[in-house]
Amino acid sequence: MTETVVKLTDVWKIFGARAEEAMEAVRNEGIGKPEVLERFNCVVGVQGASFEVPRGEIFCIMGLSGSGKSTLVRHVNRLIEPTAGKIEILGQDVSKISEAELRRIRAMQIGMVFQHIALMPHRSVRDNVAYPLEIRKVSKSKRWAVSDHALGLVDLTGYEDRLPKELSGGMQQRVGIARALASDPEILLMDEPFSALDPLIRLQLQDQFKALVAQLQKTTLFITHDLDEAIRIGHRIAIMKDGVIVQIGTPEDIVMNPADDYVREFVQGISKLKLVKAHSIMEPIESYSGPTDGAPRADEGADLDQLIDLAVNTDLPVIITDAGADVGVVTKPRLLRGIQGGKND
Amino acid sequence: MTDATTEVKVTAASDIEVDREALDRSIHDFVGPSGDYYVNAFHKIHDATSGIPNTFNIWAAILGPFWSASRAIWGMFWTFLILEIIAWVQIGRGAWGNPGADLAERAERQQARANELLERAAAATEKADIDRFNKLAANIQKAADSSFEKAAAAQSEALGIMVTGLLMLLVFKLVQGFYADRVYEKQYSNWRIDPRSTESGRSTRNTVLGAVLVAAIGPLIVYKFTVNASLPLLDAFPEQEVSAMILGEGNGTLFSSLASWMEAQIDAAAAAGGDVFDGIVAGVRSVLDALTVALIGSPWPVVMLVICVTAWRAAGPRVAIFTASSLAYIALLGYWDVAMETVALVGAAVLLCVVFGIPLGIWFGKSKRAYRAAEPVLDLMQTLPAFVYLIPIIAFFGTGNPPGILATIIFGMPPVIRLTALGMRGVPDSIKEAAVAFGASKWQLLKDVEIPLALPSIMTGVNQTILMCLSMVVIISLIGGGGLGKEILEALQYAAKGPGLLGGFAILFLAMVMDRIVQGAFRREDEKL
Repeated sequence: MTETVVKLTDVWKIFGARAEEAMEAVRNEGIGKPEVLERFNCVVGVQGASFEVPRGEIFCIMGLSGSGKSTLVRHVNRLIEPTAGKIEILGQDVSKISEAELRRIRAMQIGMVFQHIALMPHRSVRDNVAYPLEIRKVSKSKRWAVSDHALGLVDLTGYEDRLPKELSGGMQQRVGIARALASDPEILLMDEPFSALDPLIRLQLQDQFKALVAQLQKTTLFITHDLDEAIRIGHRIAIMKDGVIVQIGTPEDIVMNPADDYVREFVQGISKLKLVKAHSIMEPIESYSGPTDGAPRADEGADLDQLIDLAVNTDLPVIITDAGADVGVVTKPRLLRGIQGGKND
Repeated sequence: MTDATTEVKVTAASDIEVDREALDRSIHDFVGPSGDYYVNAFHKIHDATSGIPNTFNIWAAILGPFWSASRAIWGMFWTFLILEIIAWVQIGRGAWGNPGADLAERAERQQARANELLERAAAATEKADIDRFNKLAANIQKAADSSFEKAAAAQSEALGIMVTGLLMLLVFKLVQGFYADRVYEKQYSNWRIDPRSTESGRSTRNTVLGAVLVAAIGPLIVYKFTVNASLPLLDAFPEQEVSAMILGEGNGTLFSSLASWMEAQIDAAAAAGGDVFDGIVAGVRSVLDALTVALIGSPWPVVMLVICVTAWRAAGPRVAIFTASSLAYIALLGYWDVAMETVALVGAAVLLCVVFGIPLGIWFGKSKRAYRAAEPVLDLMQTLPAFVYLIPIIAFFGTGNPPGILATIIFGMPPVIRLTALGMRGVPDSIKEAAVAFGASKWQLLKDVEIPLALPSIMTGVNQTILMCLSMVVIISLIGGGGLGKEILEALQYAAKGPGLLGGFAILFLAMVMDRIVQGAFRREDEKL
């Protein structure tokens, strides 16, 4: 099993002057969000969030505005202090470390990209990217070399000496990504990095980003309010609602087995063709009694799109194989239900 | 998408019926007593399509301010209270006042004197005396007649005044009657938006308050304007009597005792803190001396060249040419030394303003509480007329250039503090957050993000401060400050027009040169961002 890089255990965040008291009441009396607001005038931002992210995974946190996703991710580098709970990075409990150590971790191990890009307007692109290194007092020659390399990763070679305002929005966000990558951190925190960009640029940057992260093997927490984006980018997705993580799972999991009506409503409009794999809609070969002679065969990892291609040319079901052995069948009714999103008969 | 619960019946705008029930209930809630009348009136107003009033509130017309007070329409209350009092004053002057009284009295006196002279003429034996008395009597009789005439005219005028007053009152009553419901309907609309801070209904408290205000203001005003010899108590505040009541007879006034007490306090403070104040003066003096030595001690061609080159580097060739010609004007008219003294004075003041103002501004920008505490002090520093704080400055710091600089700092420091604080607060949170997320410490955040981003605002503040300091140059010459201000002050004392104007232009050119150089430098900075 790969190493866990980020681990959150039962993290709570309550905003307000009487957060401690409110937390106490939540623990002892189990009161909900509206009561906390009424009794303590405190807002519950995150309620008991727990998850682990292994090395190299892109973990998407999806939710609508106000669902607490930005708040949650800011706990990882302690831009926001948790009211309760434990946050570990590479096995180290960050809530217990000193200010100086925290700054070291922020500068060396965590890169962050922001929705509002947040480049410094008075510094050149190169100096913006080099800022995390400058904070660590790295020499200028080293800084410039690293920052030029990082800009190369996001295809911005040649723009080093420009000011941010001279670049387009998409290019500025690529500078933001280069800045996050500059100090070669273990963890990337992406706070809705692409939501302010227009759709075509967004699609481009998503692909570029996915490839880059796969190549660099960065553990990534990716926040988005767009389920399509989460499915495109994420290995796993956590869906948040009102500060609670409603469901964590792979994109296929979430689409096929929504945990509740809220998630179901979200996934309704998502195309399942590339998402749903044969193994999640097949029935075991043992329980199938119809004819199978001459039926087409597909691997259990084949998606619906491929299954449809096979099924249109025959009246027979598709036989699903795992490592060469027949394990299940997908009949036409099952295939159609699968396209609908795994509704059972 | 359209299921039964969300379906909305669509009706053409022209077919929509006005639903009066909910509206009527809310009007009743607002109005309280005699709700039916106002429901009716408000409907008429709501149905009206022109601005001409179509309702008449008889009680508002008759009761006037009492009505508006009882309905808590205070704007209307005050307006018509004042207008009605004006009308009542006219009526009072016409009815009870006696505009011709003193004229008639004078006429009586003149008549008596004329009669007396005629008697003396009759009693006289010599022809010359008779003629003389008769002539005098005729003259005085003429004067008396004219006085009688004037008195009669004034008397008849009184009637006119009274009629005017009555007409005014009638017009005001009608206006109130016609517009009362409209104004009240406005109040109702406000009440709908903000029911908590808009008064509604009719309350006894408001009615009594209105009546008390009318009773307190109306009779006194009417009395004062109609009666010829009013009570002295009403003409001037009886400050001497009140002083005597508080302090006892023969102990001076409140003013004199308070003033002498403050004088003693200031003297005591100046004596007690003498070392501190001397230290401050010495510190300011050392800054001033350094600048003076640089500007006056150095050979004049060097100083001139340095200023011109600075102007050129900072703001371009055009400003450099302007600077050179301004300096030539100053030098040719023999103002060089005093002008440089002025530059040293302003420079020292600006330097101290910036050195203390920017850190203060940064602090106020970061701490809302500190800013809130400092705001009234800053306001005071800017609004207090300079002459007011010149006196304590003399008491604490003596006279001469350093106290002058201190007075200049009081006036000149607020802009740089305010604009620094403003700039600090204007730094986007997202950029600050980004810096913190990459591990910046508080100091790094300040040095790398906050100050660079606040810089345009800080620079505007510095520029403002420079101009404010320059404007104090003449004023500080009142407490012994030197430089061009002193020249102007001397010209003012002898009403010497020529020297005054020439010196004034020298100050103007100095101010323009400084402003242009500083602005030019900042504009170049700004263009980078």
